Amino acid sequence: MKNAFATLPARALAAGAALALPAALVALAGALLLPAAAQAQARDGVPLMKPPLQGAAPPATTPATPASPAAPRTIQWEALVPPNWDPFKDFKDLNFQLLDDGDPRAVKMLKRMREVWDSAPANPAIEGQSVRIPGFVVPLEDSKEGLKEFLLVPYFGACIHSPPPPANQIIHVLPRTPAKGLRSMDTVWVSGPIRAVRTDSYMGMSGYRIEAVQVAPYEEKRR
Amino acid sequence: MKALLGIAAASAWNRRGTLALVVLSIALATALLLALERLRTDIRSSFSQAVSGTDLVIGARTGPVQLMLYAVFRVGGATNQISMDGVRAVAAHRAVAWVVPLALGDSHRGFPVLGTSTEYFQRFLYGERQPLVLAQGRAFAGTLDGLYEAVLGAEVADALGYGLGQRITLTHGLQASGLAAEHADKPFTVVGVLARTGTPVDRTVHVSLQAIEAIHLDWAGGAPIPGLAIPAEAARKFDLEPKAVTAALVGLKNRVAVFNVQRFVADYEAEPLLAVLPGVALDELWQAVGLGERALLALSGLVALVSLAGLVAVVLAGLNERRRELAVLRAVGAGPRHVLALLALEGALVTGAGALLGAAAAAAAVVATQPWVQQSFGITLQPGAPTAAQWALFGAVLAAGMLASLVPGWRAYRLSLADGLSPRL
Repeated sequence: MKNAFATLPARALAAGAALALPAALVALAGALLLPAAAQAQARDGVPLMKPPLQGAAPPATTPATPASPAAPRTIQWEALVPPNWDPFKDFKDLNFQLLDDGDPRAVKMLKRMREVWDSAPANPAIEGQSVRIPGFVVPLEDSKEGLKEFLLVPYFGACIHSPPPPANQIIHVLPRTPAKGLRSMDTVWVSGPIRAVRTDSYMGMSGYRIEAVQVAPYEEKRR
Repeated sequence: MKALLGIAAASAWNRRGTLALVVLSIALATALLLALERLRTDIRSSFSQAVSGTDLVIGARTGPVQLMLYAVFRVGGATNQISMDGVRAVAAHRAVAWVVPLALGDSHRGFPVLGTSTEYFQRFLYGERQPLVLAQGRAFAGTLDGLYEAVLGAEVADALGYGLGQRITLTHGLQASGLAAEHADKPFTVVGVLARTGTPVDRTVHVSLQAIEAIHLDWAGGAPIPGLAIPAEAARKFDLEPKAVTAALVGLKNRVAVFNVQRFVADYEAEPLLAVLPGVALDELWQAVGLGERALLALSGLVALVSLAGLVAVVLAGLNERRRELAVLRAVGAGPRHVLALLALEGALVTGAGALLGAAAAAAAVVATQPWVQQSFGITLQPGAPTAAQWALFGAVLAAGMLASLVPGWRAYRLSLADGLSPRL
């Protein structure tokens, strides 16, 4: 902790803030690597953020009995990230350990990473598929009949705590029938066709949209 | 069964004095439960209907709930202003489609005055993405010529009997006491009246941001500067561009970008700002208010229990004087089951009458207080079909009343045939 405790309170505060910076950088890096979470842990020993809500049945193997064409495929949040996307492409030569507390380069890196994150691309392979995905609710439009629009995010507190999830980890959900009784940060299963939405006016900013056929409460065990 | 019902009703009518009091207490308890439930649902819907299509509300750093309360619901006061530079920086963000600044703090006879841009009338949506509609006249021009123009919410126009062309003066601060300082030198002309929305907009007087600047030109430190008076006409010559506002509504090009913009606002280095998602802030409010609501509901539940206990006590006490009556019934062939049914029916009749009376009273109270609640709090009560929760409460009162009347029924069931026929002297 250096000698933060020995100095004036103001200085101690400043030192604390400075100490937090590289930690934030590491956390950011960890979160960026979430799609390859296990890999990241093995490679860097980076402490990870809370894992995203997992689908109870990973669709890694094709089921023995082919599902009916209408049945949505259960996916995980990793499926929304293009397999070849490497958020660390621009940061290969960077060694976090060498950065000092409050290093201006660290602050700069944090900003750069934020930009990379904000322009995280959508996965073209998932476009148009009928999917079922679990997540947390962030309400947008409420009405007497229930929620008409909400955002689905992979971790609790994704909107309040820093930093926000990348663009390809946020789904704009428009339920066909308003979802009743939902509050912010409730957990739900959302199923429906998923589309990648690209707004040209917002450079590179893309996101997903689901016109949800069904919004059901999330249960730990699948029956 | 029908015969029993007739006997029960006739017997109850015979003791109508005491039973009427029981009916009254059950009616009051039911009315309390139902009215409370109505109030709870309507307050919630009023709040959630108040703003729509707005992705973020930005203001000075405070709590998310507090910011929503003062910026959107006009409840409480702002903790600080935000500079127009900050507002412009947010407006320049690549994901932001529009920004509508809001300047609060003045009032007209207790109704809040909102300084805003002309864009407000296009961008502000309420309910389910419904735009504001002008019932009469037009929006304020937002130009120097139309500097002193005001647009009234429906409630303001109705309550004060104002129409187009009415001259009004604004009061500094939010009190309608008549003590507060008036901006009497710069009167406004009403140029438009908005159609009713059932939201805080109804209780608001809208003027342009420049007008808010103009009426405070010769003010400093919360009071008019002695010896300095800038006439209404001369004010147009000053720089009336606002330097600071209270809050701003933000709309995005793509709602998925909402966290990025929120983060951008939170990280804005020139001044501390706060951005909240209206839906999330409202949920926080309900979490806080929910405790109080549940406590109130539990209390009214207890009141209902007490009145049902009163029912049991009255019927039990009545049993003693009815020994003869019951014994005669037994003598003419009624079995213990019939006696039980008779008393249970009586209880059901009394509870039913009480609950119905209570429901009617609750509905009447809602209809009677609706205009006052709308005017004072901006909350639209909806006297109409009962909600599912109201039906449930009504059913619970009835069921509890029938259960409670089984107690005296059981007591009567145990009385022997000979009991009432051998008078004790």
